[in-house]
Amino acid sequence: MADPTVVPTTPAQPPLIEGRGLTRIYPMGDSEVAALRGIDFRIELGENVAIIGPSGSGKSTLLHILGLLDRPTSGQYLFAGVDTDTLDDDRLALLRNRAIGFIFQSFNLVSGESALENVAAPLVYAGVKRKERVERAEEALARVGLTDRAHHDPSQLSGGQRQRVAIARALVTRPAVILADEPTGNLDSRSSADVFTLLQELQSEGLTLVTITHDQRIADRAARVLRVEDGMLVDHDAPEPTYLDDGRRLPEPTTAPATPPSGAVVVPPESGLAALGLADGDVS
Amino acid sequence: MTYVEALRLALRRLRTNLLRTALTTLGVIIGVASLVALIGVGEGTQAAITNQIAGLGTNLLSVNAGAATVGGVRGAAGSASTLTIADAGAIGSLDGVEAVAPEMSVSNVVVVNGRSNTTTSMTGTTPAEAQVRNYQVQAGTFLTDLDVEKGLRVAVLGPTTVTSLNTTPTAIIGQTVTVNGIPFTVIGVTQPKGGSGFTNPDDAVFAPITAVQSRFTGASSLRTIGVSLADPAQLAYVESEITALLRYRHQLATSASDDFSMVSQDQLLSVASTTTATIRNFLIGIAAIALVVGGIGIANTMLVSVRERVREIGTRKAIGARRRDISRQFLVEAVIVTLGGAVVGVLIGVAITGPVGATVGVPATPTLFGIILAFCSALLVGVLAGWWPARQASRLDPVEALRHE
Ligand SMILES: Nc1ncnc2c1ncn2[C@@H]1O[C@H](COP(=O)(O)OP(=O)(O)OP(=O)(O)O)[C@@H](O)[C@H]1O
Ligand SMILES: [Mg+2]
Repeated sequence: MADPTVVPTTPAQPPLIEGRGLTRIYPMGDSEVAALRGIDFRIELGENVAIIGPSGSGKSTLLHILGLLDRPTSGQYLFAGVDTDTLDDDRLALLRNRAIGFIFQSFNLVSGESALENVAAPLVYAGVKRKERVERAEEALARVGLTDRAHHDPSQLSGGQRQRVAIARALVTRPAVILADEPTGNLDSRSSADVFTLLQELQSEGLTLVTITHDQRIADRAARVLRVEDGMLVDHDAPEPTYLDDGRRLPEPTTAPATPPSGAVVVPPESGLAALGLADGDVS
Repeated sequence: MTYVEALRLALRRLRTNLLRTALTTLGVIIGVASLVALIGVGEGTQAAITNQIAGLGTNLLSVNAGAATVGGVRGAAGSASTLTIADAGAIGSLDGVEAVAPEMSVSNVVVVNGRSNTTTSMTGTTPAEAQVRNYQVQAGTFLTDLDVEKGLRVAVLGPTTVTSLNTTPTAIIGQTVTVNGIPFTVIGVTQPKGGSGFTNPDDAVFAPITAVQSRFTGASSLRTIGVSLADPAQLAYVESEITALLRYRHQLATSASDDFSMVSQDQLLSVASTTTATIRNFLIGIAAIALVVGGIGIANTMLVSVRERVREIGTRKAIGARRRDISRQFLVEAVIVTLGGAVVGVLIGVAITGPVGATVGVPATPTLFGIILAFCSALLVGVLAGWWPARQASRLDPVEALRHE
């Protein structure tokens, strides 16, 4: 007799991002540079994670691996439960296109193309028809408050506006995660605040957000802070009080509820990819 | 990325870089324009020469005095009178021969009309000349049997000769001109056939062979006998007949070589068209080199462009471009630049074909063949020029590309 009050247990959904013993070693002539030296961690769907650490510690290297732009030298990287080592370059490109949005410190907009065209660019690679592309790009630009700048060239925009265009571009494919590498690093404090607020809003709407930052406010707002030092994670699982330059203590890591991003298909437990709105066949 | 998207992207890119695009395509423009123009001129030359030869008379077989060239060594030419008026008469009675014109020629005669004079050559012949060599008169009449019979001092002039004498065909009819001081009455002017140089059939003086013989050469030796065939298919047969006849008439021993030679209009035509085809191919080759140089220019610009856009390439990869999306983008760009250059080049080529032909004295028109060939070569050049840079771009490592300054 089944007890109607007992909810059937579903197998745990795989974490969006899982790294096991990740290393990244760059050959430098005869010697080698170990940028990452064994990193283990998980990030669940909908989390808000900040990555901090001194310059040269390997943060960007890590983010590139998370974003499937680079492959670890050793270790295993699972994206939505899929071992990325089994995926060829085209499949990685497809995942970057559908499931990941990047935001860079230096914006990386294509000049000579309008803001709207920049925002629509990922949809070109996704094979979306032109009419729909324009609609969705306009929507994304509206979301970042730049409807009136749609036909400007990036060179005609301020730094903050450029970064908002870049955020719109990252949003337009409705990705599961946004990876940002010092998104406010090139901005004045006012523009930083705009970008910061925008990213926090998006996260609270269900997007997973991973941000490399030197910006204390971003680190403060993150539910979890990963500190990278010399290619390794420190105080990740055993949070000791971490004091920052200004003497304030970082909040203790919390595990955020795994809210699926709005619009995502309800998650069948066995497929992490389906949760991202991707059929398994698209990738494997 | 579909080709349509790649095309859209390329056009946007080229629009923003208009000056560079224009300069890049210059090589292709020059190559394509010269290809179109030179093919037009080449075909024009071929047509002009073919027409000119055909205009000299159809079904024509020329029997020339002197031995044929054998192994590059020419036998004793006309040491005796190898061809005579009597030979011409005998050939005229052969099977398959329609008409025969004996030609006795005097070169470098000075023709004087009033105060004007010109130097040309004079041909003593018979009325059959008009049929054999395909002459029509535009004014007056050609030579008549009576003129020949009586050895009258009458002359038919070519239109170029008339012009050289500063008069017109109608005005000169009935006038008396002197040829090397001997007066001749002009009775006709021939229709122009077109041509130039020392084989110009329009620069000529025709007079009765009898008059030329008595006033100029004194002998009965001929330079040439023009033979018109009833049926061109019988050429070989008539040639062998004439050979046998002349050898018999000249009493040549079996071991002796011919003291005359024959050339048919067909042979002339094929020699000429082989020559002009060679010239044409040579011209096409030059234009092709120009096009290849243009292609190298495009390849170079594309490589520079890839280098300048490393970060863009990295960004595109980050947002989901696959290798083939990137390579397609650059390949399409190269092909568009090249084809754009080809369009301009074709327009320029079409415009300059006529003038270029005029400077070398050939009526030239652009040909469809030339235009199609130019387009196809440009397309090929574009694909080849874009291929390597596109491959370079697509193989960039995304992280390296994003890091690039
Ligand atoms: N292509 C490369 N070749 C060799 N070494 C590299 C390469 N890329 C990164 N490194 C090295 O790896 C280490 C980590 O670099 P990374 O860019 O990840 O640092 P980071 O934490 O992002 O620093 P910053 O805060 O200054 O951006 C550095 O020592 C760097 O010199
Ligand atoms: Mg970095």
